[in-house]
Amino acid sequence: MRTNKLIIATAILMLGLLVVPVFFTSTFILHMFTLVFFYIALTAAWNIPAFGGKFSLGHAAFFGLGGYTAAILYVKCGISPYIGMFAGTFVAMLGGVILSFPLVRLKGPFFTLASIAFAEVLRMVAVDWRSLTNGSVGINIPFKPGWLNLTFTSGMPFYYIAMGLAIAVILLSWWIRSSSLGYHLRAAAADEDAAKALGINTAKSHFLGLMWSSGLTGLIGVLYVFYNYVLEPGSGFSMDRFSLQPAMNGIIGGMGTIWGPVIGAIIMTPLGEFLRFYLGTIQQGLNFVVYGLMLIAVVNFVPGGIVSLMEPWFKKKKSGDSSAADN
Amino acid sequence: MDDLLVVKDLTKNFGGLAAVSEVSFEVRRGEILGLIGPNGAGKTTLFNLISGLLASDRGTIKLEGEELAKKPPYKRSAMGVGRTFQVVRPFDMTVLENVMVPIFAHYKTSKEAKEKAFEILEMVRLDKLADKMPSNLTLAQRKRIEVARALATKPKLLLLDEVLAGLNPSEVAENLPLIRQVRDSGVTILFIEHLMDAMMAISERVLVMDQGALIACGTPDEVTSDQCVITAYLGEEAPEC
Ligand SMILES: Nc1ncnc2c1ncn2[C@@H]1O[C@H](COP(=O)(O)OP(=O)(O)O)[C@@H](O)[C@H]1O
Ligand SMILES: [Mg+2]
Repeated sequence: MRTNKLIIATAILMLGLLVVPVFFTSTFILHMFTLVFFYIALTAAWNIPAFGGKFSLGHAAFFGLGGYTAAILYVKCGISPYIGMFAGTFVAMLGGVILSFPLVRLKGPFFTLASIAFAEVLRMVAVDWRSLTNGSVGINIPFKPGWLNLTFTSGMPFYYIAMGLAIAVILLSWWIRSSSLGYHLRAAAADEDAAKALGINTAKSHFLGLMWSSGLTGLIGVLYVFYNYVLEPGSGFSMDRFSLQPAMNGIIGGMGTIWGPVIGAIIMTPLGEFLRFYLGTIQQGLNFVVYGLMLIAVVNFVPGGIVSLMEPWFKKKKSGDSSAADN
Repeated sequence: MDDLLVVKDLTKNFGGLAAVSEVSFEVRRGEILGLIGPNGAGKTTLFNLISGLLASDRGTIKLEGEELAKKPPYKRSAMGVGRTFQVVRPFDMTVLENVMVPIFAHYKTSKEAKEKAFEILEMVRLDKLADKMPSNLTLAQRKRIEVARALATKPKLLLLDEVLAGLNPSEVAENLPLIRQVRDSGVTILFIEHLMDAMMAISERVLVMDQGALIACGTPDEVTSDQCVITAYLGEEAPEC
């Protein structure tokens, strides 16, 4: 009964999303939807290491590695963006291998700091390695419309590509969370020592989580570059957009859950764009002040994120025969 | 007698503090071996050394003749060392899922893991609470989750760290037979306990630690009449046996 209703609701939502581009021809609305889809995918990918309690503020590294790989292959070597997707995913995963050293060795905030440094170093490399990346001028994707070049005259194809990407990453993260890897990561997040003593190779679990996360983020980076046409170090390895934003979405929506990143991305993407556009022009960095305040509010008052407020609404009511809690 | 675990000269210092010093003993296959000693004696540290959460400074730990000292915790678990923790911190998932976590190593599908986990929950009488969150359970029940989780690793040797501490007498009476039941299912048990009565009732032999050193080893009767033990551990309190 309940699952039936859920399936019907999901079907209606999907149908609705499928016809959005038909009814809303405004490029702004289409762009906003597309961006939300990209951010759902990014946040859900960022969230995978968070199953294991690992909090990254450096995912721009994987996004940029993916984007730059595909853009350089396409623009400089004429290699198809579809091959670029694989290459970008692969190179981002290599980045993941590098970040996995601090991941399995450093606890809590120290890993987070290492992740920030990692992304910043890559951004500086992208600025300095001009022969490869064109430095701060950046790389432009030439406008040669067609599916072969993953370049389009209207925003519609990318609306559907981003939507498919978001759905795929949500499904993947759901699958990971309910697989043995997901259970092992959640156990490690709750009590790393207990997890180890129960036979879990927690270092390996964290590593595999980061491999999924970095690879997916790299792939998203590839697609985003072809959506956006331009790639320069400040945008590709943008701390603000691709490291902070997914983390913000995750915390505000509910980190380590399936729907938290979705809810977070839906709420924060339009808000983030708005803040960046209006407040950013009044005073640089003013948008961060608002982020900071929101973060403090959520962490203090709803530590589980917005999804935790919706939990009673999501979950079927359990019979009240539970024994009295002690302590 | 067939020795399952042989510990020799095991030593661990924290800075200047000898938490475990030159400890040697063996655990015989199929026995319930008690470990007592005042707070801070080094009992939990000894468990951490055997399960691999802490690296020892010196000494050997052999399980069925195979050296454990250099192996990471997850390998020791796979070789048959299971343990519970003094401070119970169940994972933030249902009781059933808590027990499924270690089972994934042995059963590849979720369904098989679930069935096996359910069997173990029946054994520790938590099957009716399988879908509850641990935070809704009593301390006695949460301690049984710890035991169930450890059993799910299919241990040969189970290290129990104060699984009866903090329970009221009726809960102790309920959890105590479980330890014997687990042993009877073929698991050798080394367990730390503060409650002397409980300890004496179910262990065949008892080790006594004080200030990092092993000061006595024998049957419960031998140990409680040992003069060293009386001064070091039972001290001013009236011996309970
Ligand atoms: N990780 C640690 N770092 C420093 N000192 C520790 C650590 N773990 C335990 N100790 C110290 O080692 C001694 C033995 O502790 P423990 O093994 O927990 O005793 P018991 O379990 O017998 O009560 C205590 O003095 C304790 O403070
Ligand atoms: Mg202790």
